[in-house]
Amino acid sequence: MIIKGRAISNGLAKGKVVKVDEPFSFLGGVDTKTGILRIGSKADISDKVFVFPCGKGSTVGSFVMYDLMVHGKAPAAIINRSAETIVTTGAVISSIPMVDMVNTDLFKEGDTVYVNGTDGTVSLEIACIKTASSAIIVDDRILVLHRPEDARSFSGRHSLVVGKVERGETPVEAAIREIREETRIHVGKPDAQLEPFFVREGDILWEVTLFLYRLDSAEPVLNQENTGFEWMTFEEVRDDPLMVDKTFEMLSRLLDRSG
Amino acid sequence: MLLTRDEQAALDGEKGVSTQKAMELLVALGKVYGAEGLVDITSAHLSGASYKTIGDGGLKYLEDMVAGGAKVSVRSTLNPVGMDRERWREMHIDPHFAEKQLRVIELYGAMGVMTSCSCTPYLNDNVPGFGDHIAWAESSALSFANSYIGARTNREGGPGALAAAILGKTANYGLHLDENRKPTVIIDADIDGSMFSYSLLGQAVGTRIGNGIPYYRGISPALEDAKSMAAAMAAAGSVALFHVEGVTPEAGGFDLDGLEVIHIGERELKAAHEQLNSTDDVQLIALGCPHLSEKEVKDIAALLKGKTRIDNDVEIWFCTSAAVRDRCPEEVRILEGFGPVLADTCMVVSPIEGFCQCTGTNSAKAGNYLPTLCSQKVMCRDLSELLKVIA
Repeated sequence: MIIKGRAISNGLAKGKVVKVDEPFSFLGGVDTKTGILRIGSKADISDKVFVFPCGKGSTVGSFVMYDLMVHGKAPAAIINRSAETIVTTGAVISSIPMVDMVNTDLFKEGDTVYVNGTDGTVSLEIACIKTASSAIIVDDRILVLHRPEDARSFSGRHSLVVGKVERGETPVEAAIREIREETRIHVGKPDAQLEPFFVREGDILWEVTLFLYRLDSAEPVLNQENTGFEWMTFEEVRDDPLMVDKTFEMLSRLLDRSG
Repeated sequence: MLLTRDEQAALDGEKGVSTQKAMELLVALGKVYGAEGLVDITSAHLSGASYKTIGDGGLKYLEDMVAGGAKVSVRSTLNPVGMDRERWREMHIDPHFAEKQLRVIELYGAMGVMTSCSCTPYLNDNVPGFGDHIAWAESSALSFANSYIGARTNREGGPGALAAAILGKTANYGLHLDENRKPTVIIDADIDGSMFSYSLLGQAVGTRIGNGIPYYRGISPALEDAKSMAAAMAAAGSVALFHVEGVTPEAGGFDLDGLEVIHIGERELKAAHEQLNSTDDVQLIALGCPHLSEKEVKDIAALLKGKTRIDNDVEIWFCTSAAVRDRCPEEVRILEGFGPVLADTCMVVSPIEGFCQCTGTNSAKAGNYLPTLCSQKVMCRDLSELLKVIA
């Protein structure tokens, strides 16, 4: 699985992921003689791929990164959601490969990743499964399916109409087929679609293409793949604790796009 | 980013390793800020000078840069360091610190940087002209240069400014471009016009507007006032450019229609003062943040002339540039009767926390940084009030 980001600091590196979910300050955040974080998990970042959303704090942080490098305790590479000056400066002067504009949610502590800071790509050793997901909307209500407790993925959760893209199939063909199989609703060309996005579940990465179908009416008839359905308002989708991760966020983006 | 053939060659390593590293840094920073290319600069001013702030990591970085043959290619000056390079014993500096600090100065010198070690280079050896593109890293100095002089710089960081100094270029974005120099808010100020009131005005505005570009009406700051106000705005917020109606060179050219108007008067200044002042005790009075100008040294000498030093344990430091100290020997002699006139340094970048806990200042900038960088409680007062403690 290759993830395209933006090249910030040159070089290639491979390592296991250490992840921090908050903006990070190197000044105060890490011991330069040991490479051990002073926050959160107290993990050792030396020779690891250090993943965090962005830098913060004192500009001296750039020199702290240099000091880590001098002590042989620098991270092997850095992945940020959005680079800022302090970490960028520190990475370049310390020759630490760095890539930004990457969704840091895709990485889990302990993943093995290759970072190419020269072309701005990150490769993650993980199974990636392509799926098509469809929001079927009738009268501002969204069709939501209930997944069985014994489903192989997202069991017991709520989702849009979703299924794997089979070999030789395009995502839109998969969407049309899945809707027909799972609800007996017949659709044609979607009203809108999003570029594929990724959802991490355990050791699987789901690559999801989301489609929008606005229909005048629809009567779902379920097959055995789901245990029930309901028509939810936009707010209900947002507030539903069982909803599959990112559904609301991506649905908002899709609806924005379709006006 | 679009690079010229020459710039690309530097990035590809055809001009040596240190030039290549410098170019990699400018390109990376340019990407982060969305710059379309680089712009030639006429001067640089570098931060990252005090051993107290840069530590062993920074020192090693400078050692490696010098070993790699790095040389600056444009006029470049350096920020204050942690001590007066000759009178450091009077500042309670330990010899280990002094040794490291002197090495830092030496390394910058080896790269061709003028080690005048002042935060007011625009008063001495680094005076940009109107419209000049520059790469400056001292927040008060760069705001002064942008605003009072009309030169053009962003808020550079230490290594970024050094990279720019080596290449004679910086990433072309932000305040280098006309469209980003327009005011974002109007400040109608009603103050008494003392330098202290300008410092507090800067504090109030910086706190209020963060990184905006204020357009002031109702004030006419002299050079020293602008220096103090610029420093305060850059410390309380991150203001890098301001305009003053009838005073600063770019102020005439803007359409002000529709801009928010903020009134700053006595009440706001009082609040700003309360924000800064945390004690009535004082062990050290430090003047010169930013470094005292020639006029300030003369004004202080006039206030102290004929007075006697009160016999107490309160120390007073007068922080200025070596150039200003050399220019007014008579006045410096008067000041020396009360405390050392120090060059190269100031209380904010010096390890004063080793010998005192309460510092007196008339600078809002120092008032912002003394608690965080030096663990100090702050007695924030007008100059004449501070002098009463010792004379």
